[in-house]
Amino acid sequence: MTFKKGSVAAHIVMGLLAIYFLLPFWWLLVAATKNNDGLFQSASLWFSDFQLIDNLKLLFQQDGGVYVTWLRNSAFYAVVSGVGATVISALAGYAFAKLRFPGRNALFALLLGLIMVPATALVLPTYLLMSQANMVDTIWAVILPSLLNPFGVYLLRVYVHDSIPDEMLEAARIDGAGEFRVFRSVALPAMKPALVTVLLFSMVASWNNFFLPLVMLSDDQLYPLTVGLRAWYMSAIMGNGGAATFNVIVTGALVAIVPLIVAFLMLQRYWRGGLTIGSVK
Amino acid sequence: MTEVQNSPAVAPAAAGPSVKTGRRSHLREAATGWLFVLPFAVLLVAFLLLPMAYAFKISLYRSTLIEGEVFALFDNYKQAIDDPLVREGVVRVLIFGLIQTPVMIGIALLAALLIDAATSRFSRFFRLAAFVPYAVPVVIGTLMWGFLYSDSIGPFSALGIDFVSSDTVLASLGNIVTWQWAGYNMIVLYAALQGLPRETYESARIDGATEVQIALRIKTPMIASALVLATLFTIMGTLQFFTEPLILQPLNPGAITQHYTPNVYAYQQAFSFQQYNYSAAISFLLGAVVFIGSYIFLFATRKRSALR
Amino acid sequence: MNIGNFSARKVSRRSVVAAVAATALALTGCTSGGDDKPAEKPAGPVTIKVWAWYPEFQGVVDNFNATHTDIKIEWTNAGTGQDQYTKLQTALKAGKGAPDVAMLELQEIPTFALTKHLVDLGKYGANDVKGDYVEWAWKQVSSGDQVYAIPVDAGPMAMMYREDIFKKYGLTVPKTWDEYKQQAEKLKTASAGKSFITDFGANDGGFMSGLFWQAGAQPYNYDLANPTSIGVNVNSAEAKKVIEYWEGMVNAGLADTTAFHTTDFYNGLGSEKYATYLAAGWGPGYIQANAAKSSGKWKVAPLPQWVAGENKQGDWGGSSFAVTDQAKYPDVAAKVAMELFGAKNTEAWKIGIDKAFLFPTATPVLESDTFKNKQYDFFGGQKVNEVFVPAYNAIGPFSWSPFNSYNFNQLTTNINQAIEKKTSWTAALDTAQANVKTYATQQGFKVQ
Repeated sequence: MTFKKGSVAAHIVMGLLAIYFLLPFWWLLVAATKNNDGLFQSASLWFSDFQLIDNLKLLFQQDGGVYVTWLRNSAFYAVVSGVGATVISALAGYAFAKLRFPGRNALFALLLGLIMVPATALVLPTYLLMSQANMVDTIWAVILPSLLNPFGVYLLRVYVHDSIPDEMLEAARIDGAGEFRVFRSVALPAMKPALVTVLLFSMVASWNNFFLPLVMLSDDQLYPLTVGLRAWYMSAIMGNGGAATFNVIVTGALVAIVPLIVAFLMLQRYWRGGLTIGSVK
Repeated sequence: MTEVQNSPAVAPAAAGPSVKTGRRSHLREAATGWLFVLPFAVLLVAFLLLPMAYAFKISLYRSTLIEGEVFALFDNYKQAIDDPLVREGVVRVLIFGLIQTPVMIGIALLAALLIDAATSRFSRFFRLAAFVPYAVPVVIGTLMWGFLYSDSIGPFSALGIDFVSSDTVLASLGNIVTWQWAGYNMIVLYAALQGLPRETYESARIDGATEVQIALRIKTPMIASALVLATLFTIMGTLQFFTEPLILQPLNPGAITQHYTPNVYAYQQAFSFQQYNYSAAISFLLGAVVFIGSYIFLFATRKRSALR
Repeated sequence: MNIGNFSARKVSRRSVVAAVAATALALTGCTSGGDDKPAEKPAGPVTIKVWAWYPEFQGVVDNFNATHTDIKIEWTNAGTGQDQYTKLQTALKAGKGAPDVAMLELQEIPTFALTKHLVDLGKYGANDVKGDYVEWAWKQVSSGDQVYAIPVDAGPMAMMYREDIFKKYGLTVPKTWDEYKQQAEKLKTASAGKSFITDFGANDGGFMSGLFWQAGAQPYNYDLANPTSIGVNVNSAEAKKVIEYWEGMVNAGLADTTAFHTTDFYNGLGSEKYATYLAAGWGPGYIQANAAKSSGKWKVAPLPQWVAGENKQGDWGGSSFAVTDQAKYPDVAAKVAMELFGAKNTEAWKIGIDKAFLFPTATPVLESDTFKNKQYDFFGGQKVNEVFVPAYNAIGPFSWSPFNSYNFNQLTTNINQAIEKKTSWTAALDTAQANVKTYATQQGFKVQ
């Protein structure tokens, strides 16, 4: 009986927390269906005039349809950085775990040391270096730094070390496979669950990236969603003399997070897997 | 952590190959190893070591609007340490970290223990609900909360609270961070709980321990290492607090000043005032503090941490 | 003065080797300057990159491109205000990535001119169009024959007021700041504290500077002809008079202090929260776009005066086009800067006036029938420019510091903190003065 009572209490606490976590989404969903006046005048947690379609039209038309470009850029940066970072991390993680080469331990120690370096501290010097390399305001300024994922390397090294027995690789080597063949046809398939996790983490990190592209990019045609939406928000809130279209910004925020939420819900399993590798091991 | 690794059992000499081929295969393995880590090593140098070195270098110069750049050794560092605005920001993020971190980790732990104990359909739904905010980019999450805090379009106007006054704004920012990251940490802790051997608390249950007792006395201590890591990453995050205050700043620049956190201040020095050198010194100091702080924390808690 | 030259000279040989990277940056900064001879032009149209954040600007660009076969404008919205300046400064410093032509607000011109990254448009015939602008406006963009930018729009200040609220509570339109305060008190009592006379948005340095300007304050005495010395008088008696007045208004609960341009501010404009809005020349379009539901209820009257019967005015906002030293064809870029919103470009101004609601600086446009006699439905058919244009013409000279980001930051931070912490506003102004003086000295200026 005490268990039952406890279970009810547990569900009440979970219910309250769930409201806390979901309320902003509910607000966003409702707000995206209102025009600018409706935002200000109607009760904020319930629908009034349903203007979602109009808002979407406005969203995709504002500033010559630049929102679509931002959406595409975000996806492009996420895919390229995500895949690139995963490939590079896989190669390095495997080598750290299974190959002996001079300087391996030193390099790995360096990696571990640098995992803790705060990324924001590096944005300014990276910008200055990039501008000397003539790469500021290009896609490379956003993509190249995102390819570096020390944490991914660490995760994959741990995973390879624990889950791929040396004998398996040795067998392939004795069969005369070259090191790269061994990696590609033996190690890589065995690394798949961890690779998916690293891929997801890198892609989301890139999709959410803000500070780096904010600093690197001037051309609004290259902005990812995060920087673009903030630019609209700033233009509304700094007063550029024009209309402050909060309804468009709200709708833009909704459209920006829908793909992520869908991806999250569908790929839950891999998230948990990745977090387990990261925390328990 | 480096010594943890045991050397791979490479084919022993007894397997037959001559010394010559053995050396060649060693060489080949070394070459392959380097080839494999090369892209990563290049990136590490280009986007971590080089920027760090560069930041350090420019932090040793002073630049003024009239005189340009001159070598100044540690003048910028002296100035940063004496700068009351830097100090104010550091104190603020420390207070923020000290309050926000336990609150958020507490919520995450509570939620993790709940979903670990209750296996209903609702608890599975709750697990997703708590995790979803993590999927929202920080910029967008902050914009959203900025609207929610608004007296004119947010749902809380009836409460009559000014969420962005100088008295309340730190708590309001803390709420955004908690909302966004509690679910993530919940999953981390939940994963650790799931990894525990069930037998350990089955016996306690048979002995008549309540679920609450089991959760607090048995489960929580057993996931201490995950808690330590989650706390560490949270503290590192709060020391670098940047995006949320930057986005909310226009709502009340008197409360969220341009020196609100060390990172906001460094950003403003560099990008509004073109004081790159001074900014680099602040960034470098901050980076060093975060870096050293993380290691002290890990060292102090190493017994409980998985990162031995 | 050139930052690049100086650093190259000061840095010792050994550290040059160690610091190739940094000096390369500085060197590119100085070599890309000073080249006066325009490069040879390509066969096709010359592409000119423009950064600006005017509303409805695409139409102006399209119109320009349609009427010029030899020039093609590529427009980028690189951010509003500080966002764009940040990018522009870093790009100019890096020697790469800046546009040919950039929109600069008037208060930013000395800041950018000091870096020597703006092309002197006087060399490309800018002084020929000097006659199109009133004296104070031209002074904002020039020093002697050196022309740093071409003025586009301005923000002469006036008072917008809610006729319905004024009628409801029996208020009269104030002509002086004293009367304004009296009406504010009357309103507070009559509306039982529900309405404020106005909102004092201390987050906007331009707004506060405009009020100082009207009161005859000269926070800075600065001329680009003598760029290393500056007079700093942020806490002058005139500025303190303004600040004390508003401190009194705010502390008595007569004026609100919601930050400008926030959702709460827009909501206040549209509801009955604010009875007046101290606006600038770009205000009619701005308020119409953001407080649509109060349409027809607003009127415009001149800004209240400190001394009855005087006509002292100030400016809040306004912008110009400057040409950067990264322009490959500075002559063409100068032409673009002069023509985009030039006095003769009636097509551009049609958009500028009717869609973007800019307040033109060029006298021929100001005096044109389409602008001066334009009736605004939002203001119940009032010809509001009959108020704004005389205000514009009465504005006196005013100089800005060559570190305006810092100036606005000090002004807004200190006043906002005084509001938040309920400390003395005049003390806040004294703090700003002390900080600016320290900063200017640190930056190597001779401070007077």
